[in-house]
Order: sequence, then structure tokens, then C-alpha cells
Amino acid sequence: MRHLSFIFNFEMTVKKFLKHTILFALFFLIFYIGMVFVWGVVMPPRFRPNLTYPLGAHGFMHTRIQEVKNTKNVDILFLGSSHAYRGFDTRIFEEKGLSSFNLGSSAQSPIESQILLKRYMSSINPKLVVWEVFPATIEGDGVESALDLIANDKIDYLSLGMAWELKNISVYNNLLFGFFREILGMDRDFEEPRSDGTNTYISGGYVERSLEYWHVKSMPAKRLTINPKQLEALEKAIELIKSQGRDLVLVQAPSTTAQYGSILNNTMFDSLMSRQGYYKNYNQILALNDSLHFYDSHHLNQAGVEIFDTKFIEDLKTNHWLK
Amino acid sequence: MLFNSLDFAIFLPIVFVLYWFVTDKRLQWQNLLIVVVSYVFYGWWDWRFLSLLFFSSSVDYWVGLVLEREQSPRKRKLYLWASLGTNLALLMFFKYYNFFVDNFVTAFTFFGTNISARSLNIILPVGLSFYTFQSMSYGIDVYRRKLKPTKDFVTFLAFVSFFPQLVAGPIERATHLLPQFYIKRNFDYDKAVDGLRQALWGFFKKMVIADNCAVHADMIFNNSSEYTGSTLLLGAFFFAFQIYGDFSGYSDIAIGISRLFGFDLMKNFNFPYFSRDIAEFWRRWHISLSTWFRDYLYYPLGGSRGGVLKTIRNTLIVFLVSGFWHGANWTFVVWGLLNALYFMPLVLSHRNRIHIHGISPGRNLPTFREFLSIVCTFVLVVFAWIFFRAQDLSHALDFVGEIFSSSFFTIPQFEGQYQAVSTLILIAIFVCVEWRGRNEEYAIGKLGLTWGKPYRWAFYGFILFMIGMFMQSNETPFIYFQF
Repeated sequence: MRHLSFIFNFEMTVKKFLKHTILFALFFLIFYIGMVFVWGVVMPPRFRPNLTYPLGAHGFMHTRIQEVKNTKNVDILFLGSSHAYRGFDTRIFEEKGLSSFNLGSSAQSPIESQILLKRYMSSINPKLVVWEVFPATIEGDGVESALDLIANDKIDYLSLGMAWELKNISVYNNLLFGFFREILGMDRDFEEPRSDGTNTYISGGYVERSLEYWHVKSMPAKRLTINPKQLEALEKAIELIKSQGRDLVLVQAPSTTAQYGSILNNTMFDSLMSRQGYYKNYNQILALNDSLHFYDSHHLNQAGVEIFDTKFIEDLKTNHWLK
Repeated sequence: MLFNSLDFAIFLPIVFVLYWFVTDKRLQWQNLLIVVVSYVFYGWWDWRFLSLLFFSSSVDYWVGLVLEREQSPRKRKLYLWASLGTNLALLMFFKYYNFFVDNFVTAFTFFGTNISARSLNIILPVGLSFYTFQSMSYGIDVYRRKLKPTKDFVTFLAFVSFFPQLVAGPIERATHLLPQFYIKRNFDYDKAVDGLRQALWGFFKKMVIADNCAVHADMIFNNSSEYTGSTLLLGAFFFAFQIYGDFSGYSDIAIGISRLFGFDLMKNFNFPYFSRDIAEFWRRWHISLSTWFRDYLYYPLGGSRGGVLKTIRNTLIVFLVSGFWHGANWTFVVWGLLNALYFMPLVLSHRNRIHIHGISPGRNLPTFREFLSIVCTFVLVVFAWIFFRAQDLSHALDFVGEIFSSSFFTIPQFEGQYQAVSTLILIAIFVCVEWRGRNEEYAIGKLGLTWGKPYRWAFYGFILFMIGMFMQSNETPFIYFQF
């Protein structure tokens, strides 16, 4: 009998413990969601490091997204990180008779590129997709760009998939907060200034920076490590582009020789990209000056952009990338 | 496997269910399960070093059995030394081999003899210093006939490898933990809830306080040549809270999780930064290691009996060995030496046990005298931490030199200082909560127990929310894993 009573007590206490744990978990879920919203609205940014919600913060993604919704039937769609939206000046392409839209965003990694393609490629209907593949974006976790996308674009099932993929607390918090803001229409009246004094948004997605020159300094040597998740997303996105019958060119925009030379395994990256499709590395094609053509170690200034874009358009025509 | 990882969040509930439901509450099955899951837990990091854990445990188990049978004092001593020698040899090889080789080469070169010796690329097995010390305590206690050796190999393996405290302690004494493996564990609701509460506070300490302090401490220590004395002092302050939050947080999690499985581990931290002198600090900091050295080194050496010189010698030895235990670097030795110098005046004047009671019992605030003592002790501790954290001795000396320069009288400036303000506010709140619960088992041990359930749950929910808001995005290992 004593044995039975022990088992009975045991069952009761463990069940009580498990029941309370599950109830607390449910309570906590609701509490957490509510707190994310309250904290995000009330607290200044320094007290919410995992809830930055960069609405219109940098890269003019908010304006770009508003514009892309009304863009249709262009020749070229540019994708990629800041090297894309600061490297492909849509005005230069327009002058040469090529319509284009630049859908690059800060630190955009293949995980986010894939989402942007799913959301907007059909409506933009480009003939050619030019994807700027900066090695750091294939190497990184993609969180910075994910937050940019959550704060400045809509939240849908693709955003959930992205959050699942990234498994990052900042992404979860921002997604929850963004969801509330969206259903409450809190960002509806947000107007992003088109210039911050140094950077100016150009209609078509390009961002022009006032002319500056880089003060050359040496960079520490490093090796690239490919993030398998990013590589997988890149492959899936390429598959998507090809399945819609669009042409694709992968491009690595020029960096300074100090930056490019500091990476010890560039050949590995080149060979990896070449396996994905048609790939051009402009670090090996153009001989630019580290100071005169760049404003920092890896971003072209306007003088550099003009040389790069002119050469790119020339290649585009010579190689008949645009059919 | 890290406590603050998704892997562990999945691992723990599975183990809990298996432990209380599948083993049918049979002692042998529960102990066997503990061994299996502990080896999985350890092997998650690197399965190759499981053999080391098994080898160390097997030797001590065998020595325990032999010591029980053997009557000859000489042979008994021999067997004890076999056990100690094996454990120390493992430590020496994996932890200190390169240190000794490098220093021998340097010493011979200094005296004009060039010798060539090769450093090895040795990986230090996680938690080696912890489980070898725990295992050694078993051998010594059996030798001293304070403990009957276990005849159950599985139980002994479970004692050495018990996963909550395997990689960073508390370093349990066999006399305390081993008997808990012999008796039937009953699920105790209050104990389990209390364990979860303690683990929650441990996670807060680690993921909010320690990891946020680490960002600033690393920034300042890694670029110390670029900063002023005031900034460096702030860096040392951040490191003080990083290491406390990190290590005491780990201990709280370990103790809390053990309670879920019906075990009581020893207290490892007792609000050390409220200590009123260095002797009290060492009774409150890493208690399981301090008492280990006291029981197995200081007392056998003679302790404070045998005159002033012997007391000085014994104190120096204990602190130097303690410093060296932390790692094969002269910085740790100097850190130990500094603490010995702080401690020595107290022990020689017999004032090392004047603060053995609670801090400001029955009062909300300390007296002015107490406050001054606490601040002075904290400053001494922070100063010693500089040596603990520095990359090498010259780095530490440059660091200290800059603090004692005119640049001390400047406003601290460093990359990330904007975020550092919020970290300082978090530290202030943390210190207030710790002060409020300073005479409890852990800071929030009794906080909110009398509140209604919704308020209590909201309080725990808020702590978890703070973790979600302030934790680092990537998994950050615990500092003491490297020891």
C-alpha cells in the first residue's frame, strides 16, 4: 500500500509540476508578445538592443520598397548588398537605353534576396537579373539585412520562413514588433527623407554618396568561410530565377586592392560562384585606384561607379547578356 | 553542450521525462541514465575526450576499492599517489605541458644555453580541472577513511560525470554528492520549482549581465593601448561583473538543474562583491574550489598552526596553486600572488574571520563603515582581475600603468560607450536585487514568493523577457570552460 501511495503522490506532484510548467509557458508566450510591443514603443533604442526595428534607418530600403511596388517590365533587376545599390547607378543605364531597378539593400544576403525575388520578381518582370555577390554576405548570418527587410517591407509567411531559417532572437523580436505595427498601421504615414546630407536616394533604387576619397590603410588578412545556409539560399534563388526563364549574371563589384588582397582565398570564392552560373569578378577586370575611386575600403565613390558601370554595360552588350 | 543553447533547451526536457517516467524511478536505472546523458552532454563538445573522463573515473574507482581492502599504510599511500598522479598527469599534459616547455626554453636561453623543444598543439579538454579535482577528492577521502568506497561502478561514473556540474563545477566533495546517488530520489515539487527559479536567475546573470559586460570588457582589454586610464578602469569594472555573472550564473544554473533531478549541490557563490574584506571574499567566491584547497592542501600543509613563517608559506602556496589552477599563464600566478598579499595581513593579525556572519542583517542599507569596507574590498578585487584578464604580464603592467597615469582624470571614451550606459544601468539594477537577497541562497530565492500567482509569474516572465531583449544573438561560452 505504501508503495502505491508513493506512486500516487509521485504522479500527482510531477503532473502538477508539468501542468504548471506548460501553463507558465503559455502565460509567458502571451506576456512576451505583449512586452515586446510595449517595450518597443516606450523604450529608447539603447534599452532594446534586440529590438532595433530599423525603419528607414539606412540604405533607403523603405523608399525603395515603396517604389518597387509600382515598377514593371524593366530590362535589368539589380540585387545584392550595398555594393549593388551603391554600385549600379540606374541613371547611367537609362542613358544607355536600359531600364533598370536596383533592389539592393544593406548587407543583403541570399536568404533575403530570395524573399525579395519571390515578392517582386514577377511584377518587375526583368529580362536580366544582375546579382552582386559580395563575399561577406555569403559568409554572414544575414541578420542585419533581415531586420532591414522586416522593418521596411511587409510581413508575410515568407518573413516567418526567414525568421525560422535565421534562428535569431533579434529577428524574432523585430518580427513580432513589426507585425503589431503593421496591423495597427503605425508605419503607414512614415515618410523617409530622400537625403541625409551625405547619401541621396535616386529614383530607381540607386543611392548616390557625395564625393569622398578613401585614406588608404592596410587590412588584416583573413580567409572566407562560406555559410552553408547562405549558399543553399543562393542556389534556391538561382533556381527560382531560371525557372521563370530570366537570365542571370553574378557579379563581384570592385573593392580596393587593400581589401580584396587581404582575403586569402578569393580563388575559392570565384570558383564557387562560377559553378552557380555566369560570373564576373570586376576586381580582376578593372584597375581602379584605392583612393580616387573609393570612399571606403570596399565601396566605390561616384567616380568609381561611373567607370564600373560603363565597363559593365560594355560587357553586357559585348556578351549579349541581355537577349 | 552549452546551457545557453537551443540544443540544451531540447536536451533537458527529454532527460527530465526519461529520468522521472521511463526509468520507473529505479535507482540503478536513474544512475545509468545520468551516466549516459552526461556522456552525451560532454561528447556534444568533443566525443574523443570522453575516453579521458572514463579513464580518470575508472582509475579512481579502482583505487577506492583497493584502498578499502589494503591495510598496509605504505601501500595505501602508494595507491593514493597512483590516483593523484594519474589525475595530475592528465592535468599537467593537457593544461601545462606547453607552458613548462616554453618557460624552460626561455630560462635556458636566459642563462646562455639554447635548447630546442617543441610545443604541442594540445586541445584542453573542457572541464578537465573540475572533474579531476572532484575525482581526486574521492580518492583522498577514501584514503582518510572519511568515506566508504562505492562498489557500484555506474554510480561512481554518475558521480564524476553528473552533467549539470561536469564542466564548470561546483567541484563537489564525494562525501556530499556520492551518497545522494545511493538513495532513492523522490520528486519534490517545491524543490523543483525552486531549482527552476535559481536556474532562471543564473541565466539572467550569464546572458544579460555577463554577456553584455563582455562586449565592453573585450573591447577595452583587446585595444587597451588606445584608451585612457579611466576607460581602462571601467574595462576592469566590466570584467569584474562579466566574470561574476558568468561563473556564478553557471553555478546557479547547475545547482538549479540538479534540483530538478532531486540532487543538492553545494553553494558556490555567496554574494562575494559585498564582502567586507578579502578573507570574506574568499569564503564567498568559488567556494567549492576554495574549500577544496583548504581541506586538501592548506590543512595538510599545517594551516595556520606552526608559527608565522609556516602560515605565510602555506597561504602563499594555496593562492599560487589556486592561480595556477586557473590556467597556464603567469598572469594567473600573479593574480594568485596578489590575493595572497591582500590576505596575508588578515591571517597574520588573526582578523581573517571577523566577518563570518551575514552582511547587514536586518537592515536595508549597510552602515557607512560597512559600505567603505565593501567598496575597498571590491576595488582590490577589481585590481587583481586586471591580471586575470590580461593576455600576458606586460599587457597587465601596461594596463595598470595607464590607470595610474594622469589620463585617469579624463572621461572614459571607447567604441560602444553609448550601449555601455544601458549595461551600467543593468548592473545597478542587478546589484540592487543581489543586495536585497544577500542573505538568501540566491538573490531571488524568496523574492515574490508571497505575491499572488499572476504577479509572480509576471516577475519571472519579465526576467525571461529581459534575457530575450538583452542576450547576445550568438551562443557565448562560459569563461570557466577554459579552465
